Amino acid sequence: MAVAAAAARVWGSSRGLGRTGLLLLRRPGARGLARSLPRRQEQQHFPSLDDKPQFPGASAEFIDKLEFIQPNVISGIPVYRVMDRQGQIINPSEDPHLPQEKVLKFYRSMTLLNTMDRILYESQRQGRISFYMTNYGEEGTHVGSAAALDNTDLVFGQYREAGVLMYRDYPLELFMAQCYGNVSDLGKGRQMPVHYGCRERHFVTISSPLATQIPQAVGAAYAAKRANANRVVICYFGEGAASEGDAHAGFNFAATLECPIIFFCRNNGYAISTPTSEQYRGDGIAARGPGYGIMSIRVDGNDVFAVYNATKEARRRAVAENQPFLIEAMTYRIGHHSTSDDSSAYRSVDEVNYWDKQDHPISRLRHYLQSRGWWDDEQEKAWRKQSRKKEMPAQLRKQQEALARHLQTYGEHYPLDHFEKVPLYQSAPSLEHEKIVKTGDSTIITRQPANSNATVFSTTGVAGGSTPSQKAA
Amino acid sequence: MAALAATAGGLLRLRAAGAEGQWRRLRGAGLLRGLLQPDSATGVAAQRRLVAHFTFQPDPEPQEYGQTQKMNLFQAITSALDNSLAKDPTAVIFGEDVAFGGVFRCTVGLRDKYGKDRVFNTPLCEQGIVGFGIGIAVTGATAIAEIQFADYIFPAFDQIVNEAAKYRYRSGDLFNCGSLTIRAPWGCVGHGALYHSQSPEAFFAHCPGIKVVVPRSPFQAKGLLLSCIEDKNPCIFFEPKILYRAAVEQVPVEPYNVPLSQAEVIQEGSDITLVAWGTQVHVIREVAAMAQEKLGVSCEVIDLRTILPWDVDTVCKSVIKTGRLLISHEAPLTGGFASEISSTVQEECFLNLEAPISRVCGYDTPFPHIFEPFYIPDKWKCYDALRKMINY
Repeated sequence: MAVAAAAARVWGSSRGLGRTGLLLLRRPGARGLARSLPRRQEQQHFPSLDDKPQFPGASAEFIDKLEFIQPNVISGIPVYRVMDRQGQIINPSEDPHLPQEKVLKFYRSMTLLNTMDRILYESQRQGRISFYMTNYGEEGTHVGSAAALDNTDLVFGQYREAGVLMYRDYPLELFMAQCYGNVSDLGKGRQMPVHYGCRERHFVTISSPLATQIPQAVGAAYAAKRANANRVVICYFGEGAASEGDAHAGFNFAATLECPIIFFCRNNGYAISTPTSEQYRGDGIAARGPGYGIMSIRVDGNDVFAVYNATKEARRRAVAENQPFLIEAMTYRIGHHSTSDDSSAYRSVDEVNYWDKQDHPISRLRHYLQSRGWWDDEQEKAWRKQSRKKEMPAQLRKQQEALARHLQTYGEHYPLDHFEKVPLYQSAPSLEHEKIVKTGDSTIITRQPANSNATVFSTTGVAGGSTPSQKAA
Repeated sequence: MAALAATAGGLLRLRAAGAEGQWRRLRGAGLLRGLLQPDSATGVAAQRRLVAHFTFQPDPEPQEYGQTQKMNLFQAITSALDNSLAKDPTAVIFGEDVAFGGVFRCTVGLRDKYGKDRVFNTPLCEQGIVGFGIGIAVTGATAIAEIQFADYIFPAFDQIVNEAAKYRYRSGDLFNCGSLTIRAPWGCVGHGALYHSQSPEAFFAHCPGIKVVVPRSPFQAKGLLLSCIEDKNPCIFFEPKILYRAAVEQVPVEPYNVPLSQAEVIQEGSDITLVAWGTQVHVIREVAAMAQEKLGVSCEVIDLRTILPWDVDTVCKSVIKTGRLLISHEAPLTGGFASEISSTVQEECFLNLEAPISRVCGYDTPFPHIFEPFYIPDKWKCYDALRKMINY
């Protein structure tokens, strides 16, 4: 200490020499400076310096052959998965054996998110909200990781992690309220849509600048460690945000300060229009972890069980060992970057369709559920209807009912014969407007002809089209 | 050796203009002594310490806070940090080189006293330091981040302006980082040049959501720093590095607070108002004395103390009384904080003004090395501006 302080006086506070000088003096150790320090207690036997490098900065062997390390990007870090694309468990010992209820919750969260995304995306197109970002294709990364955490683990996100909040049962009304910026928004209408935040669910409010949450998450993890809270902090970011200086800062701080944090990188192939080939040249983000001294893994982000397993184990060890973990979840951004983006400008529709059809987290989980007998097409239909009902903004429900009543009186003037009729609100949860429709027939057009994908009555059709019908006299 | 080593950094040299060896009486309290040796062969002063451009004026010993101890500025900072860590078990101090005591000795002894989990080094990364500090504060713990020089705060600008300042607003008060305080050495030091002399308060003054504070003395520093740490908003506390050793006064040992957003009228007067902060307060104090002696002009001297949010009322009240305002700061003229004060005062006190508001500031260049004595708004420049205002 005293010597270092003297050094500060002699060399001054200039960053250049002073810093180096301080560094050298601060690490006396068995490095040959021992004899100049009055306070050293023990003498170490110094072997010949030829045997092993003595540098404070790194410990390794000497090598006398000039060789550059070749970055390995052809066969890089392998991708951990549990299910194949048909939802079959590959290695039974990796099956987390989660109970049916939990897996159904995974499925419902992912599909509800998907439905909400469709509705809010449409809302933006209709001018009812200013902006939206969908999560298509990445639902597995959100739900698999959220399910592996404790409810009190603090979440720092980027902007494409709504499924984490969904899994934590954040009400749909509050998602909507934030997007609409209405009086119910707990964020008080101050930010653009999708900038969610929830104190009770330990989800820190999203901000637009990318990667700024990464060193913040590390600080929060440090505080959690000091508080002996047995909590982990999870920090989500995309592969693009990982290029920011804040990401480097966060990784380095987490490792040097031994913080219980999970860095969760959603590598979805694009940062707006920038493909990964233009974002980095190394082996993705997982390969950076070891450079910082961080335990790292790459997982199949479309395999909700792989995400779950990796996050669960990372959480256990991060808290037990006070060290960071890096999980790179490989996935694909099926949707556009946002409502301000048209991705056909930089990628082919075929590519998008491939991922949508061949490797989608929701489909894979559905296959798993169906093969277990925990789900079937009937339940699928019912759930889809139910989840769309949950979504529908109140004024549309009113309009839908108004149309139903109108058709009861004037149905002869409409091509009802071309449509299948299914009772409205058959399986809906209890809603206040049910009282109104119980009295009479409550039939309404619900589906298009059978040879197209079955969907429930599209809100686009209602709102985009005719004006609300008058009540039957 | 001790005297040479006493300054925070190095020797200050005076080029012997005129080639006569001259003994110059060195003014400056405390340890800032000169070591002048005329060269015996030529009679020319070979090595001269630059006269400091200011004289630190200690305030009288405070009576109302209990026992006091003689402390310089960095010791007063250490005392404030010591008090904070003692009172608040969540408080942590971190930054580059703080563990061994800090390059300016502000954290000496704290790691031994409070433990390595509470006083620790971070990697060399200012954006990381501030981001990390925000994260600690988000959990409710107290984060005291040190940036080694204010000149290096810019990598953290995004975290400060886009994140810290906006945390509470953007989340609708669901989240905040109010328990974050950022400290940084600030201002000219005689030889600091471009990257060890800057006064960047104006960049942050433009940012709603943070507080910016600059003390003039050890007593002020301890009380203001404690107020910043306890304030429920993220604060930036700039410490005039040239005062770290040069400023010595009696400072209470126990914690106490000096209020934020309150300027202090340190000398009352009737003819002209002088406003400054940090080191420059001592310059304008001397200017006030010169004005009284040479011109019979009575100056009201105000230390602004908090730059953001600043105490408009005190300054305007003074200008309404005196009719003249001179603001001085080391930071460059254009866009410097004097422009904000000037603009507001002319809005509020237009009809009271007897002369245009005067700003005596650094030039619009990077902070030079060898030309520092010419660059800084010293007492002669301030005196000259004052004279012109009086004669307007």
